[in-house]
Amino acid sequence: MSFLTLTHVQKSFGPVQVVKDFNMSIEKGEFISFLGPSGCGKTTILRMIAGFETPSGGTISINGKSQQNLRPNQRNIGMVFQAYALFPNMNVAENVAFGLKVAGAPKTEIAARVKEMLGLIRLDHLADRYPYQMSGGQQQRVALARALAPKPQVLLLDEPLSALDAKIRVSLREEIRAIQQKLGITTVFVTHDQEEALSISDRIVVMNAGKADQIGTPFEVYNTPATRFVASFVGTLNVIEAKVVDPASNRVAIGDQQLTLRHSIAAFKAGDPISLAMRPETGSLAESAEGDTALTGKVVSAHFLGSVIRTRMDLGGSTISFDMFNNPGLLPPAAGETVTLRFAASDLLVLLD
Amino acid sequence: MKKLWAWGALTVGLLYFILPLLGMTNFSLKMRRGVYSLDAYAVVLGDPRFQETFVFSILMALATIIFGVLLVVPTAYWVRLKLPGLRPYIEFVTLLPLVIPAIVIVFGYIRLYNTSSWLPLTGSITGTNILLMFGYATLALPYMYRSVDTGLRSIDIATLTEAAQSLGAGWTTILAKIILPNVLVAVLSGAFLTFAIVIGEFTMAALLNRPAFGPYMQLLGANRAYEPAALAVMSFALTWGCLGLIQLVSRFQKGVQSAA
Repeated sequence: MSFLTLTHVQKSFGPVQVVKDFNMSIEKGEFISFLGPSGCGKTTILRMIAGFETPSGGTISINGKSQQNLRPNQRNIGMVFQAYALFPNMNVAENVAFGLKVAGAPKTEIAARVKEMLGLIRLDHLADRYPYQMSGGQQQRVALARALAPKPQVLLLDEPLSALDAKIRVSLREEIRAIQQKLGITTVFVTHDQEEALSISDRIVVMNAGKADQIGTPFEVYNTPATRFVASFVGTLNVIEAKVVDPASNRVAIGDQQLTLRHSIAAFKAGDPISLAMRPETGSLAESAEGDTALTGKVVSAHFLGSVIRTRMDLGGSTISFDMFNNPGLLPPAAGETVTLRFAASDLLVLLD
Repeated sequence: MKKLWAWGALTVGLLYFILPLLGMTNFSLKMRRGVYSLDAYAVVLGDPRFQETFVFSILMALATIIFGVLLVVPTAYWVRLKLPGLRPYIEFVTLLPLVIPAIVIVFGYIRLYNTSSWLPLTGSITGTNILLMFGYATLALPYMYRSVDTGLRSIDIATLTEAAQSLGAGWTTILAKIILPNVLVAVLSGAFLTFAIVIGEFTMAALLNRPAFGPYMQLLGANRAYEPAALAVMSFALTWGCLGLIQLVSRFQKGVQSAA
C-alpha cells in the first residue's frame, strides 16, 4: 500500500486554479522531486501536504490516514524551507530540540536526540552557535536536523538549496540524499533545478500549469519525455521541425533529408508537420551518412568548453546543437564545414503537446 | 558654510530645550536661601503621598504594560500573518488616541462604566483601577502597536510560524517561544514608552479619582514653589532613564537583529 497518497487534489486561489486534479502515490522511503517552473503548483502541493493550504478538492492521506481535518502541527511532518527559518532567538541545539520539547519528550531523550542529529549533519561543534553566526549551508543543515529530530513520518523540502551558492548546493544535495537513504524517510523535494531533481530522486514529477505532465524515474523523464514541455524543461533539447512523408513506415523529411523514425507516427497524415527532438549529447560525428540515422548539415559555430565541444549545425531550416567529448587528437569542426551527425534511431523523439 | 548652519541650528535647538531644564533644575536646588541644596528633593521624597502615588503609578504602569503586550502582540501578529489587508485600518484605530483628547476618552469610560451601567466598574476601587489601566493602555496604544509592528516587520513571521507549526507547536507556543522573544526589543521599547506615559498622566487618574503620580504633581505644583520643580526634574530623569533603557536593550538583542 502507498504511504503518501494524493487523490484528485485540486487547489484554487479565487478564480485561478493552481493545482488541477493531481493524483499520486508515494511509497514509504521514496525520494520524490517535484520539478517545474515558477507558478506550476509544485510548492502549493507541498504546502497542502504540510497542511498550510487546504485543498479545494480531493484527499491527502499518509499511512492510510486522511489528513483532511488535521492542523499542520498535528501531522507529524518535517519541513525544510528555502529561507532556513531557524528561530533567531535559539542556538543550534535549542533549534534542533524545539520539536521534541513541544512534543513533551523527556530531557535525557531530547539531549540524546539533539546529539544524534547534530552528529548526522556533522555540526556537533556548533551546538552553541546562533543562526546569525553561521553560513547559509550550515543553517540549512541545522534546519534539516531540526525537521528530522521529532522523527516525522514525511519530510518536505521546499527548494532548500535555492539560496545557497553552486558548490554548497551540490554537496548539500548529496548530503540530503545520503541522510534520507540512511533514515529511510519518505521525502518530497520541490525544486526548479532539473539537475538537482535528476541527481537525487527516486522519481520525478514534472509539473506544468497545475498538473503533472510526467511522473517517472529520472532516467525515464530524461530519455523518454512524455510531452513537449517535459522534453524542453528537463535537459537541453533540439527541436527539429519536420514533415510526415509516410506515416505507415514512420518516414519523415527534415529539409531535403529523409529519415525513418523508431517511434510510431501512425496518428499523423502524410504532409502533416511534426516536431522531433534530440538531446545534444546523443549524436556523434561520422565520415558519411549511412542509412536513416544520420543528418548532414553545415557547421554554424563550434565552441570549445573544455571537456566538451558544443557545435551548432544548420540542417537547412532548423539549427541544432550537439555536444561531443573533447578528443585532443581531433580538431573541432570549423564554421562552414559540412559534417554528418550520426545517432541511434531511438534518440529521435516525437514531441506531443 | 553648510556645516556652520547645521551647527548653528543644533546649538539653537539645544539651547531651546536645555535652558528651561537648566533653569528649572537650578531653581529646584535653591530652596535654602543663598546656597544650593537638595532640600526640595528631600521634602518630596519624604512626603508619604509621594511614595503612595509613585508606587501606585508604577504598579499601574506595570499592569498596563502586561495588558498592552497581551493585547498588542497577538493582534499585530495576527494582522500581519492572516489579515494584512486590515493593517491600514488597524493602524488608523491605534492612532486615534493621539487625536482624541484623554478627557474625551475618560468621560466616555465614565458614561459607559458608571455605577448605573451594565458593567459598573467605577463602583469599586479595583474596578476603577482596571478602568484606569484600560485608559492608560489606550493612551499608550499608538506607541506600543507601532513598536511591535516594526519589530514584526523585521522578522519573517510567516515562515517562522510555519516552521514552528511543522514541528508541532500550537499558537500559544508560537507566540510565547518564537514571536515574543524575537520582537522583545520592540516590545520593551513600547513598554518603556508606556511606563513614561503612565507615570506622568494626569487627566484620567484625576477624573477617575485615583491616587496617581500625575495628580500629585499637579497638586504639589498648585501649593508649593520649589518642590514641583524638584518633582519635574525627577520625572524628566525617569523618562530619560526609560529612553536609555530602550537603547540598552536594543544592544542586548544583537543576535536577533543580525538574524533579521
